[in-house]
Amino acid sequence: MRNRILKYAAAAAILCLYAIQSAAIPAKPYPPKLVNDFAGLLDTRQRIVLEQMLDAFSDSTSNQIAIVTVNDLEGYSPAEYGTEIGLQWQVGSSKFDNGIVVLVKPKTADSPGQVNISIGYGLEGAIPDSYAKRIIDNEMIPEFMQGDYYTGISNACTVLMKLASGEISEYEGGKSSSGILILLPFLLIFIIAIIAGAGRRGGGNGGGGKFESDGGDFLRGLIIGSILSNTDRHSGDFGGGGFSGGFGGGFGGFGGGSFGGGGASGSW
Amino acid sequence: MKKAIIIIVAVVAVIAIWAVSGYNGLVSSEENVKSAWSQVENVYQRRLDLIPNLVATVKGYAQHESETLEGVVAARSKATQITVDPDQLTEESIAAFQEAQGEIGAALGRLLAISENYPDLKANQNFSELQAELAGTENRIATERRKYNETAKAYNTMVRRFPRNILASMFGFGQKGYFEADENASAAPKVEF
Repeated sequence: MRNRILKYAAAAAILCLYAIQSAAIPAKPYPPKLVNDFAGLLDTRQRIVLEQMLDAFSDSTSNQIAIVTVNDLEGYSPAEYGTEIGLQWQVGSSKFDNGIVVLVKPKTADSPGQVNISIGYGLEGAIPDSYAKRIIDNEMIPEFMQGDYYTGISNACTVLMKLASGEISEYEGGKSSSGILILLPFLLIFIIAIIAGAGRRGGGNGGGGKFESDGGDFLRGLIIGSILSNTDRHSGDFGGGGFSGGFGGGFGGFGGGSFGGGGASGSW
Repeated sequence: MKKAIIIIVAVVAVIAIWAVSGYNGLVSSEENVKSAWSQVENVYQRRLDLIPNLVATVKGYAQHESETLEGVVAARSKATQITVDPDQLTEESIAAFQEAQGEIGAALGRLLAISENYPDLKANQNFSELQAELAGTENRIATERRKYNETAKAYNTMVRRFPRNILASMFGFGQKGYFEADENASAAPKVEF
């Protein structure tokens, strides 16, 4: 009798533990969004820029990249945590399983920073684990070490988007420094052009004014575009996500993608 | 009299319909377990496939660690002999499979530990790629094992619940075994860098 009570108590304890454990993974965001900055590493503008970039990518290729930042991994390894988020939120479409989860846990005084990229089943071929590892080592951690989370995340997403869409099929990494070298002449020309432009503006030419009004149009276009695309979205057949939210351009929702644990992690 | 026959026929028909749908439910649930198992085998196979390349790479830098290298190769060849018939996913067969694979994990852990002593090896591009693939594979194994356990649990619940358990025992739907959490989880290869 006593034995049985003990058994029930143990079962209840395990159940509670299970409930706590599964509660540790943040619930799927509503309204759905791709940038989930629970740790507050990004400012509003950065969040919107990333959200729009990833939303546009999701619309044009159906590949979904979700960014999640958290302050605590609740005892999970970064790979487990990232995979669990991918599985529970169902990032990617159910047809192609083409979701990616980028997870960042910032470095604090008493714990190391950790980062993980989880790749959905359907993208494991396009983004092998070794590429994910290189992206973490070359694009993310060097920036994170300087406290620049936005640049690290943004650069990683750029490479991930190129790989996922097939724009590039190989990622060597370590090219970021040589990339700057190649860009150097262009940068110089750009700087000279700016100096020359400033000189002309000083001379009373209207060129500078025109440049500013261009900037205004771009911003206005962005806002109008996001409103338009929001109403547009309802007619599009997207993934399988059932609802359309009105956030940051209206990401249509996660589409039922599945994950098998592919990807890589790193720490700093 | 006629009425009684009609009632009996109706009852038999209801039972038959219930039995058919119950049986089909069991069949498809069992298929889910089998497909989850084949995913488990896939990811373990993935790890087996990485080993020859890994051993060859390490050998190039650390010849006199032949004992550790041979340990990995021996564990691998032993594990390839232990396969599980998807129709016999019993507690014992899964435990035997898990034990053989666990030995590979432990041997790989030792191999990665000694590789720390060879800076040239660590700097090798091929080796770091293999390490990344291995780390990803370990996570895949953990993920597919968890998925298998969840599917097996859903199936086992179905088999044991009344009244379907009557059908299950009639048609020989046995319970499926689970993966146990690794007791020596700390001894398993920690391939995080």
